[in-house]
Amino acid sequence: MVWACADYGYSDDYSSFSPEAFVAKEYTPFFYSDFSTYYTKDYTYRDDNTNTRYNDQIVKEWYDYFGQQLSKTDLQYLLLKASAKGIDSVYQNFKGKINVLPDSMPQLKKQKLDKKLVNSFFEYLSLAKSAEEFSANYQEYYGWDEKPNYTAPKSMEVSLLTAFQKTKDTFIKQRLWFQLVRYYYFLERSTGVKPIKDSQLMKAFDTYKDTFPKNMIYYRTLGYVAGRHYLAKDYATSNYLFSLCYDYAAEMKIPAKWAFHPNEETDWKQTLAMAKTKEEKITLWHLLGVYFDTERAIPEIVALDPKSEKLDLLLSRVVNITESSRSGYWGGKEDSTKTLRKNTALISGIALKNNTSKPYFWNLAAGYLNFMSKNYTQAAKFYQAAKTQLPKDNQLIMAQYKILDWGLYIRQLKKIDAKAEAKMVEPLNWFARLKEGKDTIPDLRFYQSLNQSLEVISDLYKKQGDPLKANIFRNYHEFYSNNQQIESLKALMQKSNQTAFEKAMLQYYPYKLEDLYFFQATTLVYQEKLDEAIALLAKTKEQNDVMLGNPFNMRLNDCHDCDHQMAQSKKFTSMSMLRMMKNLKEEIAAGKNVYNNAYLLANAYYNITHYGNARTFYESELTESYSSYGLGIPVPFRQMFLSSKIAEKYYLIAREATKSKEQKARCTFMASKCERNESYNRSYESPENKKANYWNVNTDAVYFGRYFAVLRQQYADTRFYQEALSECGYFKKYVSKVR
Amino acid sequence: MTTPPFSLLQRLLFGLIILLALPSCKRESKADAAFYYWKQKLNLNKAQHQLLDEVAHGKLYLRFFDIKWDSFAGKAHPEAIISFKEAVKTEKIIPVIFITNQTFEKLSPAGIDSLAMQSNQLLQRLAAAQKINYQRVQFDCDWTLGTKEKYFQFLKSFKAISNKQLEATIRLHQVKYQLRTGVPPVDKGVLMFYNMGKLSPNPQDPNSIYNPKDAATYISYLPKYTLPLNIALPLFSWSIHIRDGQIIQVYGKIGKKELHNPENFQPTAHKNVYRALKSFFTEGIYVKTDDLFKLEETDKALLEQATIQLAEHLNKEEQKTIIYYEIGNLDLSTFKTADFEEISAHF
Repeated sequence: MVWACADYGYSDDYSSFSPEAFVAKEYTPFFYSDFSTYYTKDYTYRDDNTNTRYNDQIVKEWYDYFGQQLSKTDLQYLLLKASAKGIDSVYQNFKGKINVLPDSMPQLKKQKLDKKLVNSFFEYLSLAKSAEEFSANYQEYYGWDEKPNYTAPKSMEVSLLTAFQKTKDTFIKQRLWFQLVRYYYFLERSTGVKPIKDSQLMKAFDTYKDTFPKNMIYYRTLGYVAGRHYLAKDYATSNYLFSLCYDYAAEMKIPAKWAFHPNEETDWKQTLAMAKTKEEKITLWHLLGVYFDTERAIPEIVALDPKSEKLDLLLSRVVNITESSRSGYWGGKEDSTKTLRKNTALISGIALKNNTSKPYFWNLAAGYLNFMSKNYTQAAKFYQAAKTQLPKDNQLIMAQYKILDWGLYIRQLKKIDAKAEAKMVEPLNWFARLKEGKDTIPDLRFYQSLNQSLEVISDLYKKQGDPLKANIFRNYHEFYSNNQQIESLKALMQKSNQTAFEKAMLQYYPYKLEDLYFFQATTLVYQEKLDEAIALLAKTKEQNDVMLGNPFNMRLNDCHDCDHQMAQSKKFTSMSMLRMMKNLKEEIAAGKNVYNNAYLLANAYYNITHYGNARTFYESELTESYSSYGLGIPVPFRQMFLSSKIAEKYYLIAREATKSKEQKARCTFMASKCERNESYNRSYESPENKKANYWNVNTDAVYFGRYFAVLRQQYADTRFYQEALSECGYFKKYVSKVR
Repeated sequence: MTTPPFSLLQRLLFGLIILLALPSCKRESKADAAFYYWKQKLNLNKAQHQLLDEVAHGKLYLRFFDIKWDSFAGKAHPEAIISFKEAVKTEKIIPVIFITNQTFEKLSPAGIDSLAMQSNQLLQRLAAAQKINYQRVQFDCDWTLGTKEKYFQFLKSFKAISNKQLEATIRLHQVKYQLRTGVPPVDKGVLMFYNMGKLSPNPQDPNSIYNPKDAATYISYLPKYTLPLNIALPLFSWSIHIRDGQIIQVYGKIGKKELHNPENFQPTAHKNVYRALKSFFTEGIYVKTDDLFKLEETDKALLEQATIQLAEHLNKEEQKTIIYYEIGNLDLSTFKTADFEEISAHF
């Protein structure tokens, strides 16, 4: 049984290891995902794009510039929303040239703001707004239309340079420097890429780079320098500079990682040689690890600094990649053992050295990798080591530990005795609360572990000869073939003094008492014990299920839709149908109006099989019998729901009871339908169809059977015979064949 | 039993038959040649120009754009639109549009006409900018049973809107199962006589571009195909990048030269399969230690073998174009003008 749960995402399908528990939040986009570029619940990443990525930063910087005197709301309006014209209006109002502004616009006049700052701000803002036309105006574009043009206008260079030279305000000057470099980037990109040495962008950057603080705007400027090297195919430098941006701020991580692109091994070696510090080298290996090769990157970083926090992301990826290679969204990879073996050895080795910054993370990862490798003793040692190191106040990490520890415990169980059951109570209750949403631990991936462990427990009970518990932990159809077992399940469910374990266990049984009554009631119907069936059905809500067609009608050719659409003066419910069937049966027993009563009862018994117009009668989740193909009905219930034997019996009783040749012919024909359905049922059970599905099942050629022969030999002179010939193609075919 | 010696009459007759047969050996081929160009930027070097002129008199099937399905936007959109880096010989160009089968899987029947309209408009605009006056358009789509109706409807609609002659690529399985997969409503088909095997990570599996065994299971159905066919033949080679028994990617840019570098690769027991000796970057690709590269090449001998096998099943009296795939990535050291003349002569 699998519980689907939208809140937890796809990772839960294959993973029991949450990177959120161990890795800093800013790395979230790079957590492993086997079906999208970035790991996120909103996997489109629509809100993170070039136009908006730095919005919060920009507003905050200007907020500080104004000594926090100008509100963030006003700044958001001016910086992010207003048009050039709107900005001008606000400015003119501030200067007293426009008296009244709409309420929706910031009213700067009324606020006590430094005039000088406001003037510099607006001068800058008007330039910045026009630069956005080409630099931050990216629109989603579908190639059917003309491609939008993001070319920087030549004329802008002078305005930017003049403003840059003029201003004495360092804050503004650095932003104009950024604008200038970005302007050159777009200019040089669209007018043909010249060598770096002839680049105006490089000149503008190099001349002033040491005069400004190394802040966010500095690194954003550096990003364009990196991009310029990329355009010139100098990947070595470009990668190095992007790695600095990646390291500087969370906002820059996605674009920097995206642009990281060594083309040849020599590029990569040159990039490494450019790194000035150990930390810079680590960032480079970290990027290589995220993008291409965790196994190569991790030992390099460990050699440089085993305590580096940049290892965390890589370690989480190693574990998640290994999990996914075994059974990911795209299915398990053919040779997953190699990945598993390599990664287990690598991570175990590092964990054993015990010199990382989060030893519990390494121990848990090593333990889990060993668990996947089936080295359970080794896994237990690592978990044991982790246990003493865990941050006890971190709910997610503690829950992560619990899941892994539980998985290992269950796998190692050979037999479930009272002691084991007692031990399982607490975790079973804990999982049940999570599963039912009574507790939530955000980002915890527990479904796979829980599902697997329930399977293991169920199998153990089955092996121990305890079908009751096996079925409670994992529902299986064969269980219901034995009424004794159903009775014991019912007894347990109704037991007033259930033990703690029984209570815990029963949380995993997906059905209610009522579902069992319903199943028993239907079973009794097919055993022709209608009195008992009615008594049990009375305890279920299904008694009021309305039959789609009249179950006492029968036609020559089955047509459920026709039956369902036909006007019905009286709609039968499951219960009223059973009562009617019971009456018919009693009348037959009393010898009253036997032909009619038996014919009607036969019709009803036919219609409540899979082939009849009232198959909804038996359908239930417990039997998983909603299939519109006979083969789709689980094996233990097939005979019961598919067999037309009872109907056949009553058609024959009806035939026996009448003297009318017409009626006899009709009964014979109806019996032939039952006979033919049995031939389909036989083919479902044939060995060659053992693994078949509805699209490839081999059914025998149409089976004519003995009743067609009877009809032809004994009733050829009836009107019904002619009717059957014209209505039933099979019969017509049969007659022409035999002739 | 002994065989009696040939009588004089028999000898004369035999000679006569040989004499009669000779003219057909020398028969001028009714096939003309053309090249595909499939890259995004049209930029041919001097040698490619020369080959195009000598072999095909400039006749070029030029891919203009791909149409793919954008699942976020829920609509079809063009990708990899061609950009012209040089002036083109405009009268000899036949535009080609590649459409993914997924596009038709997702496209609603109501969207077919507007997709045809949009495609035609985009094609017209791109062609007009280069003053290309085209008379035919070729569509390339590996349609399936589920997309047949929509794709065929698209072709009809495009024809009605554009009023051009249409061609459609035909894969071998579509020839074999023409009753089921249907025959597209176009003026001419183009039989793609390549990619007949499955791409396989298994080192011992045969060349998927062409191998006679896979080809044999299809070609006997050719004479019964109801659409006149041009023929597309492969000139390309590629290598399949395999890691842990799985195909990662297929590259045209990794060839013999790269795989014969003993610092990076060593040959394996299987012909044309190489193992990476270390982890490294090359050509923008990251290779990991123990990765396998399976080289699948087309050379003159292979092409000739394919041609002979195929030509036997085609009507030689039918005018057809042999389109070589493709000139943009062609290794000019492997194929010369004379080779193409020899190949085309078989048809």
